Amino acid sequence: MSEIAIKVENISKKYDLLHQKGESANSLVGAFAGSFKNIFRSQHATESHEDLWALKDINFEIAQGDRVGIIGRNGAGKSTLLKVLSRIVKPTSGRIEYTGRMASLLEVGTGFHADLSGRENIYLNGSIMGMSKREIDSKFDEIVDFSEVEQFLDTPVKRYSSGMYVRLAFSVAAHLNSDILIVDEVLAVGDSTFQKKSLGKMEDVSQKSGKTILFVSHNMGLISTLCNKGILLNKGLIESNGPIQGIIDQYFKNEESETGSLSEYKYDPQPTKEYFIQKLTLLDKSGRQTRNFAHNEPIRFAFNVTKNSSLKDVVLNVYFTDIHDKRIFTTILPISEKFEVSNEATFQLTIPESTFVSGTFRISVSLQIPNLQLVDVRHGAASFDVYDNGSDLYRYSGSDVGVVFVNCKWEY
Amino acid sequence: MIKTVITSEDTSSLNLTELRRYQGLFRFLSLRDVSARYKQTWLGFGWSIIRPLINILIFGCLSYLVDRSQNFGDRFLMVSAGVVFWQLLSTAINDVSISLTANANILTKVYFPKILLPLSSILVCLIDFVIAFVLFFIFFLIFKGLPPWQIVFLPVVILYGLLFTFGIGLMAATAAVKYRDVKFILPFVVQLLFYASPVFMTSTYVLSLNLPNWIKIIYQINPFVYMLNAFKFCFYGNFDSFQWMYFGISLGIVGLFLFFAVKYFLNFEKSFADYI
Repeated sequence: MSEIAIKVENISKKYDLLHQKGESANSLVGAFAGSFKNIFRSQHATESHEDLWALKDINFEIAQGDRVGIIGRNGAGKSTLLKVLSRIVKPTSGRIEYTGRMASLLEVGTGFHADLSGRENIYLNGSIMGMSKREIDSKFDEIVDFSEVEQFLDTPVKRYSSGMYVRLAFSVAAHLNSDILIVDEVLAVGDSTFQKKSLGKMEDVSQKSGKTILFVSHNMGLISTLCNKGILLNKGLIESNGPIQGIIDQYFKNEESETGSLSEYKYDPQPTKEYFIQKLTLLDKSGRQTRNFAHNEPIRFAFNVTKNSSLKDVVLNVYFTDIHDKRIFTTILPISEKFEVSNEATFQLTIPESTFVSGTFRISVSLQIPNLQLVDVRHGAASFDVYDNGSDLYRYSGSDVGVVFVNCKWEY
Repeated sequence: MIKTVITSEDTSSLNLTELRRYQGLFRFLSLRDVSARYKQTWLGFGWSIIRPLINILIFGCLSYLVDRSQNFGDRFLMVSAGVVFWQLLSTAINDVSISLTANANILTKVYFPKILLPLSSILVCLIDFVIAFVLFFIFFLIFKGLPPWQIVFLPVVILYGLLFTFGIGLMAATAAVKYRDVKFILPFVVQLLFYASPVFMTSTYVLSLNLPNWIKIIYQINPFVYMLNAFKFCFYGNFDSFQWMYFGISLGIVGLFLFFAVKYFLNFEKSFADYI
């Protein structure tokens, strides 16, 4: 187990942004065009040239049999790292050493030809992924079986539904035989039944075969189930490296500091209003301020309300909306009678664990006398994220499971 | 288990063990191009016979209409020999030159020895050529009977032609990864070469024309001239306007082209995904 499968030393990768944009360097006359442009902006002639370091001095080792989740925000260098490891692009500097056969799965169905039949594409795609004819022959029935497209095996894949197409493509990929497997966010394919099946297959491959696996995904639930180690990338640098749970936690902690400390909202006093909301705080179960919550932990909101008059029948009305601004549910608390000693009171709302599925939500707050008077309103007062940390729900991450999970009562 | 090392200084080399490991891919890439071409056509594979047949008939008959100094059979065969071989050379240049850019979707997603792409496209050209050649050979048997003993040189001549066109095509393909201009320039170059090669006009005829001397020299060091004449030599037993010096020079040009093309390709291979 402790044998090193992959050793990465000082790997850096530089991209020239000009090339990427294809502005000038991609055509012979680009040189002329470039110098022509410079006539018009003589002073900024150099600013058009910019280096982007997608990876900067990356070092790590992966032991044989480790399943490593590579996480980070968009543009952190995850995909570049996978591409360098799988020898698709050359590093600008550094050295990588690995032992055994490597297969990389950056996309399902690489090289599929629309005019060829399913059968022909299995062989084509399989051989592109590095399988020999004999290997494909021996696994052919398994692949067909898994993909559920047996009837259409001799139909050109352009006649396939998109579901059939990805099922076939995934099935070939799932039967790759290698010592090291590199996978880039390709698993959420097909309908939910097939997704469940393919994730099951992935778990099988990762946990039982003893393969070394590198895995990029934004689905933290999936990563925490599939992987035992993690690497957190941030702007081309390795931020941390270790057991997966710690890495995921840190990822969310970073997210938080990146988006600012928007876990507390203070509002100016409004003496003209009978009641007003002074502060809204988002807290986790231990009372720490945060805006990121795991699916399986409770979410708490604290509302500080100030009372200026003796208006009666005022309620605190709280509702939640999803990213499409659709209301999910409302909860109400009568508060007028709850100010006993002072004119300030704090009300705490706890959403039980496993309520929101992963996603971004908004909370809106109002103080009102129902159907009569709006006292103070904070529409979309705060937003928060819920992430999945390994519940059963992650299996359905590609499909619509709604926005809340209800722990219903079952009898059998 | 195999140990692999990736470094920034890496340039490719022709790794034969690796190529052997990927021979399955080579096979399926070639198979893809052959079998995908006539999909969804009513005639299907019939097209691969009809296309060269029409080509031979049109050029053969047309050339007799234009120039009746020989009888129909001789004229027809002389020109169709050139057309059949030229067709191989020109499609090889063209197909090899687009083999990398046309497969950009694979190049950016998976590692494999990229040389397989131009190699498989030249194999596909060769398969087309074999069909066209058989047709031509039937015509030859009809009009002339059995070819002379010089026919034994035919495989060498074809290999020579393939090496040269592979060199040109590979150089263009590599350049096209970065500069798509190649796609627009190359057809003109190929067309120009067509007129500068003995397909319609025999070398004897061209050299007898009242042309400046330097044009005649350029004409004679053009490797295509010797290639096409060598092809005809296999069927007629005499080599049109053969001169050792010019033959040697054209041989040198072919060697240099191939050498630099492969070198350019290997130097640049690892960076394809960055530019394509």
